[in-house]
Amino acid sequence: MLLSKLPPGMRYYLGAEARLRRRVEDTAMSVFEGWSYEEVLTPAVDYYALFERGMGVTEAQTSFRFTDNDGRMLSLRPDVTSSVARVAATLFADRERPLRLCYAAPVFRQQQQSHAEWRRENTHLGCELIGVGGDAADLEVLLLAAEILKAIGLGDSFCITINDVGVFNGLISDLNLDSASRESLRRLIDTRDVTELQNFLNENSIPTSSRESLARLVQLTGKRNVLDEARSVMTHANSLATLDKLADIWQVIESLGLENSFEIDLADVSGLDYYTGLSFKVFVRGVGYRVGRGGRYDGLTANFSSAEPAVGFVLSHDSLVELLGRNNSTDGNGGRETRSVNTDDLSKNFREALRRRTNGEQIRIELKR
Amino acid sequence: MITIAISKGRMQDDALALLAQAGVQLSPESLASRKLAIEDGNGDYQFIFVKPADVPVYVEHGIADCGIVGRDVLLETEADVLLPLDLGIARCRLVVAGKNEHVITRAFGMLRVATKYARIASSHFGSRGIPVEIIPLSGSVELAPALGLADAIVDLVETGRTLAENGLKVIEVITESTGRLVVNRASYQLKAEEVARLTTSLSNVLEGGTAP
Repeated sequence: MLLSKLPPGMRYYLGAEARLRRRVEDTAMSVFEGWSYEEVLTPAVDYYALFERGMGVTEAQTSFRFTDNDGRMLSLRPDVTSSVARVAATLFADRERPLRLCYAAPVFRQQQQSHAEWRRENTHLGCELIGVGGDAADLEVLLLAAEILKAIGLGDSFCITINDVGVFNGLISDLNLDSASRESLRRLIDTRDVTELQNFLNENSIPTSSRESLARLVQLTGKRNVLDEARSVMTHANSLATLDKLADIWQVIESLGLENSFEIDLADVSGLDYYTGLSFKVFVRGVGYRVGRGGRYDGLTANFSSAEPAVGFVLSHDSLVELLGRNNSTDGNGGRETRSVNTDDLSKNFREALRRRTNGEQIRIELKR
Repeated sequence: MITIAISKGRMQDDALALLAQAGVQLSPESLASRKLAIEDGNGDYQFIFVKPADVPVYVEHGIADCGIVGRDVLLETEADVLLPLDLGIARCRLVVAGKNEHVITRAFGMLRVATKYARIASSHFGSRGIPVEIIPLSGSVELAPALGLADAIVDLVETGRTLAENGLKVIEVITESTGRLVVNRASYQLKAEEVARLTTSLSNVLEGGTAP
């Protein structure tokens, strides 16, 4: 075993990159604070059962697991949301709603080596808005995410794609698909696999009306016109109601002049088991995979007590830092002036050093080797 | 500019012919050169030529925005990419082949399967509860049953001639494979217009029935 070797998916942050990392985190946290979100710190180790409830079995199984002294299974936290939902249901059960909570914390997941998201330790910058639903809450977190991305210097190079799981769920609600077929259909739409989707629709004898709307769904990515197109091919009441809701949200985004930072993507059906309404992803020029995701999960707190509306998102701190670090490679001490203090006369020079520190200056003691 | 990763080998000529019909031209000089990354005349597209299994890697990481690669490779690598267009080129079947149809049922204990497609093979037999020992090979897979290395193989078959010449026949067809246009998830959103232009012009060529 080589001492120099790191486990796959783990890394150091050193020098300029470590400073950049702190700056990005501070910026994000100050934006959260600016929207009245309160920071929470959750345990890095928790019961595996918590994450199974909070994330679902498949996702929870990506966690690093080990056993406690009493034999119960523990896990390095693979997400922060599960723990926050538990806080909302227990310690904060009687607190006035809405709860606005935010965090910056590393999460740990076992990843397939070959995939583009290779990190196994990744800091999540995230927030949860719990206890109040509706368009206003959805918009609040969308705008908050956009403000963070702008504040860290990604002004015009990001895109937040929005969807609502109600569109797809409406379309398939009377098809009576078993869970395996539903999952195949979901995956084919999510990967825009037009050819295999056509085969699926034929093999499963899907009625003609649903067939057309499902086949069109994969192409419904863009701005406002996407919603009009969708309306022309969908007949199911729930899907139509969801399109109205998305249109309301889009209307506000346009009126704020933010339509260049957002996109509607009705074919994004990746988080169906988790999200119950709005779902969104964050893409940034220069990174080949999503750097953040979020949405509404009104079912989440039901796993811990009574169901409450909840919406939130996470941004991958590590992906953002890596991108920003590639774009502007600053080096040195971050641009601050340093005063050297020599050590010929220890009392005199350390008095001088303390004086300068009181003034807030950056100093460097010249140690003789 | 959009970067397109193209599988070297079998699919390359068909892919380039299709792109040329869609108005994406590479000059004969640049094609004749040994450069692995070349640009088209207008500077709208950059092409990179890589091994088939590497196409999903470049696309998944977003180094290439799009790629042209066989469905067999996509299934085997389980790449997380978008697949908006079937190009219909390099059509072939992914099959289980052996000396005769009984090898699967008659194998004692474990069925030994030699293949370049370890993941596809193990999920194909796994889903039916047949225990298999996968023997990963990187080429000339058809030799394995004749020499006793394996009971059966899982491989790509176009005409079936190589199989026949090595005393093998198709026992089961797992799936069909054709060349696919794949797109990186981020590029699909961030370069939406350019990607749409490429897919539209390619699908116009395909619908016009003038594909090679």
